[in-house]
Amino acid sequence: MTDLAIQSAPALSKIKKHYFATPLNSTITVLLAAFTAWVLWSLFNWAFLDAIWGYGKNEECRAHEHGACWSFVATRWRIVLFGLYPFEEQWRSALACIVMLIVAVLSCVPVFWSAKRLPLLWVVGFVTFYILMRGGFFGLTTVVERDWGGLSLTVFIFAAVCLLGMPLSILFALLRRSELPWIARTMALLIDVIRSLPLLSIMFTFAIVLPFVLPDWAIGDKLYRVIVGYAIFFACYQAEIIRGGMQAIPVGQEEAAKALGMGYWHRIGYIVLPQAFRNALPPTINQFVITFKETSLVTIIGFFDILASGRAAAGTADWSFATIEMYVFVGLLFFVFVFSLSRYGAYLERRMSVGSR
Amino acid sequence: MQSLIKSRRVREAGLQFAFVGGIAAMVIIMVLVGRANLEAQGMTSGLGFLERATGWRISFSLIDYSTNSTYARAILVGILNSLFLGAIALPIATIIGVAVGVMRTSGNGMAELVGTTFVELFRNAPLILQLLFWYTLLLGLPSPRNAEPVLGGIALTGRGIYIPGINVTGASVFVAVLIMVAAFALALWLGARRWPDIHLQRTSRERKLLWALAVLAAIIAMWIGRIPETQLVSVPEAAGLNYRGGIRISPELMACLIAIAIYGAAYIAEIVRAGFNAIPKGQSEAARALGLSPWYIFSRIRLPLAIRIVMPTLINQYVWLFKATTIGIAISFTDFFMVISTAINQSGQTLELIAILMGGFLIINYSMAWVLNRVNDAIKLKGTQLRI
Amino acid sequence: MSDQAISIRSMNKYYGGFHALKDIDLDVAHGEKVVICGPSGSGKSTLIRCINRLEEHQAGTIAVNGIPLDDNVDNIDEIRREAGMVFQNFNLFPHMTILENCTLAPRLVRKQTREEAEAIAMSYLERVKIPEQAHKYPGELSGGQQQRVAIARALCMAPEIMLFDEPTSALDPEMISEVLDVMVGLAEEGMTMVCVTHEMGFARQVADRVIFMADGEIIEQAPPGEFFDNPSSERTKTFLGQVLGH
Repeated sequence: MTDLAIQSAPALSKIKKHYFATPLNSTITVLLAAFTAWVLWSLFNWAFLDAIWGYGKNEECRAHEHGACWSFVATRWRIVLFGLYPFEEQWRSALACIVMLIVAVLSCVPVFWSAKRLPLLWVVGFVTFYILMRGGFFGLTTVVERDWGGLSLTVFIFAAVCLLGMPLSILFALLRRSELPWIARTMALLIDVIRSLPLLSIMFTFAIVLPFVLPDWAIGDKLYRVIVGYAIFFACYQAEIIRGGMQAIPVGQEEAAKALGMGYWHRIGYIVLPQAFRNALPPTINQFVITFKETSLVTIIGFFDILASGRAAAGTADWSFATIEMYVFVGLLFFVFVFSLSRYGAYLERRMSVGSR
Repeated sequence: MQSLIKSRRVREAGLQFAFVGGIAAMVIIMVLVGRANLEAQGMTSGLGFLERATGWRISFSLIDYSTNSTYARAILVGILNSLFLGAIALPIATIIGVAVGVMRTSGNGMAELVGTTFVELFRNAPLILQLLFWYTLLLGLPSPRNAEPVLGGIALTGRGIYIPGINVTGASVFVAVLIMVAAFALALWLGARRWPDIHLQRTSRERKLLWALAVLAAIIAMWIGRIPETQLVSVPEAAGLNYRGGIRISPELMACLIAIAIYGAAYIAEIVRAGFNAIPKGQSEAARALGLSPWYIFSRIRLPLAIRIVMPTLINQYVWLFKATTIGIAISFTDFFMVISTAINQSGQTLELIAILMGGFLIINYSMAWVLNRVNDAIKLKGTQLRI
Repeated sequence: MSDQAISIRSMNKYYGGFHALKDIDLDVAHGEKVVICGPSGSGKSTLIRCINRLEEHQAGTIAVNGIPLDDNVDNIDEIRREAGMVFQNFNLFPHMTILENCTLAPRLVRKQTREEAEAIAMSYLERVKIPEQAHKYPGELSGGQQQRVAIARALCMAPEIMLFDEPTSALDPEMISEVLDVMVGLAEEGMTMVCVTHEMGFARQVADRVIFMADGEIIEQAPPGEFFDNPSSERTKTFLGQVLGH
């Protein structure tokens, strides 16, 4: 009889341990559960039960205030996603975003993790994106950067910043850990100063101030100036991450390479960087996630990214009450991408800590 | 010559010279071009414009400001606003963040669920999106005409949150806050120094005395700063279209506070969680073996250890969060950045103002990091033989 | 070609204010095997690391195969091609297979084709008796196997001199002999070797000369018979008593 008594149902005992271990715990569980239930119920009500779906129902929505107006999404999603891009060509914008999505997904596949394949993948993807968006080749009508907008502008800025920023960050990291004191110290100062400044102020400076101090041929388009500024900011943060990865490599690795007669660039390219990147992979992915989120700051500088296009979509008199729904929609778009990427980063981190001893 | 080129020393010197020289050359070119451009536009350079009157208004200011105030004063207002926002949002973020972090490592399934949802929800959306979201929500509150005060004096309206206020000058509040902060620091320092004399009763009595004195001094400071001919406490009262009296927290300020506090809390919660997870199990086991209650194990062993472990990461996070206050410009909250950008629009003195902006942020960030690093050095685990 | 493989004259090295190597005079002839021993902190590793410029000396001259070791980058590169080094911690590249570890430098530095490099690498891997591990990663091999791969990797560059910096100190006792066997084989084929080690049996068997260092100076050098049985300096006697006593 005693044998049977000891074996309580494992599921039940787990629940007891996690939720009801002590009286205090039980109270907390009950309170939180009640609170969560209330919040979830209200949200459910707002977002589903009382909500209005379907196309063009702004009059109904305006009258029906306590439900969500998803009709806004159904009616205005094109503006949010594509901005002012010409209607007939919006398939190009969509296709371009899908291309970058494929590039992002493929980057996570270990097959592409070599010094040749990954940059190639990104360059090919980016060039395809640019051709699709800009047109002018292959019979596609030209659409200048000023008319890009919405999700595709956000994706474009993000991809350009990463593409420009990664090589720059490797350069900064190598300069920062140089054995030549003047180079290392100057670089350290530059990196620290740039990291201390708010991203917004750097974007602002590059957008507004730089035309003053650059010779005419170097000024370029405001969009590309902001991308360069953001890329430099990105490179400074990423350089520190790479430097951390380099510091985790045993000193003997570079010594062995030196003893074999390998020159500086061979050592860096074959021995130091591959191991540094392996060490620095989770923080790097985190950095990408943050970069994508912070791209939304360009709306303050006057660019028509997805946040600005969302506000434009909800800015007309017809739909001005639907601002919250718009923020939820845009927020969901960000959330999906950012959440998946950070989950992937966590998975990588777990996998790598299992492998190493 | 050949041997010179191949000599490593010469190469190294040459590389360093080229690098530093290249950067210096770029800076010089930018200065020359900048000066040429300014002359072409007929604008004076230099900081003389700081003495001019601005002619524009600032919506939120801790010190006196009018349209006749100088640019220098406007910039000061901006800096004070940023510091004010940081001084309130960062501690709130810390409190919420630590609470959520503790929830996530508590072992109670429901608490962990709620904590995880909070973190994932607020970490994965851009800060500016969250800011605009809260701002829209706050603007959607009922207008002052229709709003009923809750809790006897707090009115939540679309034009701001009205709370009861004390009719004292801003300076006296500032002095009172300073006194409390100094008392806090003094208590910490005394506590650290006196631990070896384990006369717990005496030290705790001394500490209580210290706090009592500090509170008394703060009250006296505020009493001295009382604005004459007004009640001490002013409660907001409905008056026509608006509320009279009390303190009005504008929707802009409130939105910034909420957004930065919650976003910061989500990040701090993760950091705190990592800290708790990094504490070796043996610490709790030893504490349990000694018979310490769960609350003491948490408050005296695990929490202090977790804080010491994550302090460097937390310092980075604080610096980053302070920089995030610049987001206020999206909803026209007149922080440092917004003041500078308005000033650039109005006066055209772009280069000087950008230099002031960057210099200001550098100074603030470095000072904050320096102070926090001193705190870190004071509390960090000492010695080289730690087995932890 | 000069008459000495390694020629060191009045070499001094400082770490800041600390005088690590004091007036070192040393000659190693072609085909000679020299073992350096001494208490820790005596400068033996520093000396051997100065030979291939992993450390820099401040005074005196070092010449390897007649090439002077100075600031000239071409000289440094050539010396590193002529001298191979085996480290205490193996320092195999963990992200490459054994074969790739061995073929990397020959392909990049000596500009060999992949086929050439792989053929040479496989022959050396057979020499050290682990050809079947060629496609594994260093983390999958035992310590003794890793060190043998490290020796093969250094040999793939066809050096004239092999430098060993305490090659068996990080190994479990049962793996020491497999590595020492390889080193003995190398010695018998006539390789010039400079070896820092505590393995006195190896020294007795293989060395042409044993050098004792303490406090940055060369105290005594003699052929092994004389060194072990009849040391002249007191320091040497004390050291030998400590090392051989167990």
